[in-house]
Parts: sequence; C-alpha cells; structure tokens
Amino acid sequence: MTTATSPPRVALPEFDHGRAGLGDQVRSEWTKLRSVRSTWICLVIIVVAGIGLSALVSNIEAGRWAVLGFGDRAQFDPVRFSQTGEFLSQFVVGVLGALIITSEYATGSIRTTLSTTSRRTTVLAAKLLVIGAVIFAVSEVTAFASFFVGQAVLLAHGGKALPAGSTILDQVHSATIPVVSITDGGALRAVFLCGVYLLLLTLLACAIGFVIRHTAGAISAFVGILLVLPLIVQILPSNLSSSFEKFLPSNLGLAMILVTSRKTDFAGVLLTPWAAAGLLALYTAAVVVLAGWLLVRRDA
Amino acid sequence: MPVITATRITKTYGSTRAVDALSFDVRPGVVTGFLGPNGSGKSTTMRIVMGLDRPDSGVVTINGKRFGELRWPLREVGALLEAKALHPGRTAYDHLLSMAHTNAVPKGRVDEVLGLVGLETVARRRVGKYSLGMSQRLGIASALLGDPGVLLFDEPVNGLDPEGILWVRTLLQGLAAEGRTIFVSSHLMSEMALTATNLVVIGRGQLIAETTVEDFIASNTEATVRVRSPGVEALAAALRDAGAVVVLHDDGELLVTGFDAARIGDVAHSAGVALHELSPLQASLEEVFMELTSDMVDFHGHSPIEVAT
Repeated sequence: MTTATSPPRVALPEFDHGRAGLGDQVRSEWTKLRSVRSTWICLVIIVVAGIGLSALVSNIEAGRWAVLGFGDRAQFDPVRFSQTGEFLSQFVVGVLGALIITSEYATGSIRTTLSTTSRRTTVLAAKLLVIGAVIFAVSEVTAFASFFVGQAVLLAHGGKALPAGSTILDQVHSATIPVVSITDGGALRAVFLCGVYLLLLTLLACAIGFVIRHTAGAISAFVGILLVLPLIVQILPSNLSSSFEKFLPSNLGLAMILVTSRKTDFAGVLLTPWAAAGLLALYTAAVVVLAGWLLVRRDA
Repeated sequence: MPVITATRITKTYGSTRAVDALSFDVRPGVVTGFLGPNGSGKSTTMRIVMGLDRPDSGVVTINGKRFGELRWPLREVGALLEAKALHPGRTAYDHLLSMAHTNAVPKGRVDEVLGLVGLETVARRRVGKYSLGMSQRLGIASALLGDPGVLLFDEPVNGLDPEGILWVRTLLQGLAAEGRTIFVSSHLMSEMALTATNLVVIGRGQLIAETTVEDFIASNTEATVRVRSPGVEALAAALRDAGAVVVLHDDGELLVTGFDAARIGDVAHSAGVALHELSPLQASLEEVFMELTSDMVDFHGHSPIEVAT
C-alpha cells in the first residue's frame, strides 16, 4: 500500500472565515440518527402501535356501547380511544431520545463528537432539534391518522356524529355510538397536543440522557417520572396528593388530550390543555438548561 | 515555532494525579513521539489537548489558540484517540460522513480518506464487525478527514499486523514531511525509535525528557565497547589499572564501560596487546526507556518465581 497522503484531490472549502455552526451540526446529527437501525425500529413502533391500537381499542369500545351504563357513557371518549397508542409511544420516544446521546457515551464516540466542535452546546441544540423534528413529524402524522382510523371504526359500528353544541348529557342519552369530527370542539387541539406531548417527552428524555450519560440510568429515570412518581404521590396524604397530582408529567399528558368540552369530571383535577403543555415545556426547558450547563463543564 | 504548546498542565482524578505540571512543545515537519509506560498520563494529556478534559491548571494551545477557540476544529486538528469508540451499528461511511458534516467537509473527501486507509471495499459494512486493525484504519481516516495541519494519534499501531505497522510508520513520516505537526503516543519504545524524530517522554504524569530520539539514546547511555583480543587477560588487567569497568565473558569477549574506543585502543597499544575487534555498542531506546522509567511505573509485573521466594 502506498502512502499517498498529499493534499486532498477533493478541494475543501476555505475556512478563513465563519465557523462550524449549528447548521453543520444538525446535518451531522441527522446523518447519525438515520444511519442506525434503532431509529427506524422506534419510528415504526410509534406508527404501527398508534394506528393499530386506535383501531383495536375503538373496535372494542364500540362493541360495548350498547351495554354501557350512564356513568361509562359519560366517560366514552372517542378521541382518547383513538390515541391509546400514545401510552406505549411515550416510552418508545423516551428510549430513542435518551439513546441518541447515551449510546455515544456508552461507545465512547461522544469524544469524537465533541472533538469536532469547539462549542459543546451546539451538539445539545442540534440533537434536540433533529430528534425533536423527526419525532414531532412522525407523532403528528400518527396522531391524526389514528384519530381518523378510530372514528372510521366507530362509524363502521353504526356510530354517528353528535350535533354541534352537544353536551355530555346528550352523549349519555345518545342512541348511537358518538363519533367525533376533527372540527368538533377540542378534537383538533387534543389530537395536535398528542404530538406535542410526545415531542416534549422526547426532548425531556434526551436532556435526561445528557445529564445521566448512561442508557439504563437515563431510561429508568424517564420511566420513573412517568410511572413511579404518580405512585409515590398517591401514597401521600390525600390533601397533599390532590394538590400535586395535576402537576405530574403523566397527568399533564392526560390533560393535553382530553376533550374537555364534553368532560366535567376532570375539572379542577387536571390543568387546562394549553396550561398543561406549557408546564411540561417548562419542565423540559429546565432539564435542557441543566444538561447544557453540565455538558460544558464536565470532562467528556 | 511550536504548533502545540502545553504549559504546566495538571489533571487530578480523585486522588490520582494523572498529569503533573507537564510542559512540552510539539513542532511541525517531524514526527514527535509521546512516550511513557501504560498509565503514565499520555491519553489524559491527549484528551486535554483535544479540549475533551479540562486541566485543573495550565493551558494547551494549538497554533496559539485553545481548543475552544478553534473555529473549524476538524480542519485544524485531527485525532485518533480510541479506535473502538464507534457506534457498532453504523457503517464506516456514515460515521465519516457524520463527522464531515460538522465542519462542512465535502462528501467526496469521505471516499478519499476511505481509499487512503484501504477501507473502500468495506465502507458500507457496520463497524461492529470490524477487527481492531480495521477500526484503527477507520480512526486514522477520521483524523485525516478535515485535512488538518495538526494530527494526534494515541497508540495507532495497536492491533495492526506487521504490514499495517509499517504502513502507519510510513504514513506518519509522510504526513510530517508535508509540514504537518504529528504527535503520536506509544508505550513501545522500539516503534518510536523507528518512527519519531523528536520525543516527549513522561512517567507518572511528569516530564522525563524532551529531546530528539538520537540525543535521548546518546545522553542516557553509558557507552559500552565490545573488545576481542588474543591477549584478553592482559588487556583486561591493563584496562582495570587505567580505571575502566571491565566484564570478561567466557567466550573471550570483553565489555568495557567508562572508556571510549579510542582510549581502549591507546591502552591496548601501550600494553602491547593486539586487538581483533573494537566496537562501540548502542543501547536500544527500549533499554534506555526501561532504565529511565523503572521507578516510575505504577504497576510492576512479578514473575512467578519472584513471588514464590
């Protein structure tokens, strides 16, 4: 083998001016994200689980409508049934969000990443932008597809849309399975916020990954926040737990997808959808700031 | 004018002082070897140069700038730090492409460096299936990707076969001949003797020597001269009388230290003894290095016999 190192035949652009920036890092992070199998597996699970569970659960619930009592009929929420897959997807996006940074720490390739940039926060920003954009796009498409599939299943069971302005009482007394149109009060917002919820959880998990730097640790922390924290809050004295409960990330997610125009039983127990989205964004921003602060200060 | 300048860098992990007030310069145009036993702080130093670890005190500059001040790091300094630090599920091509994007290096350069290290036929294979030698070549490709003027290699010949070692040696010398600054670490002194021109030698994080390979050997070796003569006994006695240290081997070979060849010849002449051989011996870099760092190695190996007694 020869040692032809010599000046490259492929001319590199001048680098007397400018600097490696966010745009360059975003292209790099996109290349990294698309070039590993786990990304595509996670995205396929989100889409398939989202649409599949929507069809399955809507089908089951449609079959039960005729035998439901008044209380259960009041709880009958065609929008929420169509978004059942979100419960599974929140863990999938958490794993993917954490993995894109913890896998770099696990393999040591974080040192390659950080030795190509002199501003470490650029790496954090680029990762959040890329994973956020991908998850948001896939989640929104899945949420809307799931919504329409779910309503189509209810229609196939003889469901009918309730007249505009119907209350929860109209739903309870309805002879047919209530089907929701995307233009019905709150439906569009609820479906849209499903994607926002998954987006915020992805960014939260990624930021946790930057802080904890170990795959198992980061995913445990993420799952703990969604599943274990509510259990801990529940065993607190009831006056305490009821004041904390609505601020739990999992309940913020619930608040974001409820179609509250027909719901009364959660009033006061949950925040309003947009307030819930805002608070979850605030939690996420706080962990992102911590992640950036640590990334700049810690040894790689 | 040195390109890499380290000034009194110190780094402590817990209670271990990995690098201790270390200062050195690395100049362009030659290969500078960075020598030290395992655990002497070479890798820590290299991570500090690359801005990955922050020293407790002291500063390292590349072309007069700290790493954090470089605007196009990949194009100014390339490094092979750990060959196996790769996502196993990614192909070599995608790994290099993701690096190239960070500093606006065109795609064509990725193919070029893959060809340069001889990985073009396996570039689309996942790197998890690579041997250590292939990973080393990929690491060298990533260091060269931005065509930088400064290159750092941490133990680049690990896992390479003899042909690969020769290839790396020639590559490093070729890069240096192009005027680049090459800083390459190794715990293999014999390898450095063949590859490097300048040396930075450390032990337990401290500087032992900063010199050229030639001077390092010369100044740390007590000259030994091998002498053969039909009258060894008489010659040995004469040399001892003159103050030299003489070892007489069974096969009639004399090893003389303290006197250079000319003086031994003079002594032989005045003693009236003929000489059949008079050859100065040069200690290998390995021997010199072992001698110098023997009290600076953290983990000494013991032979089983030693332990038994």
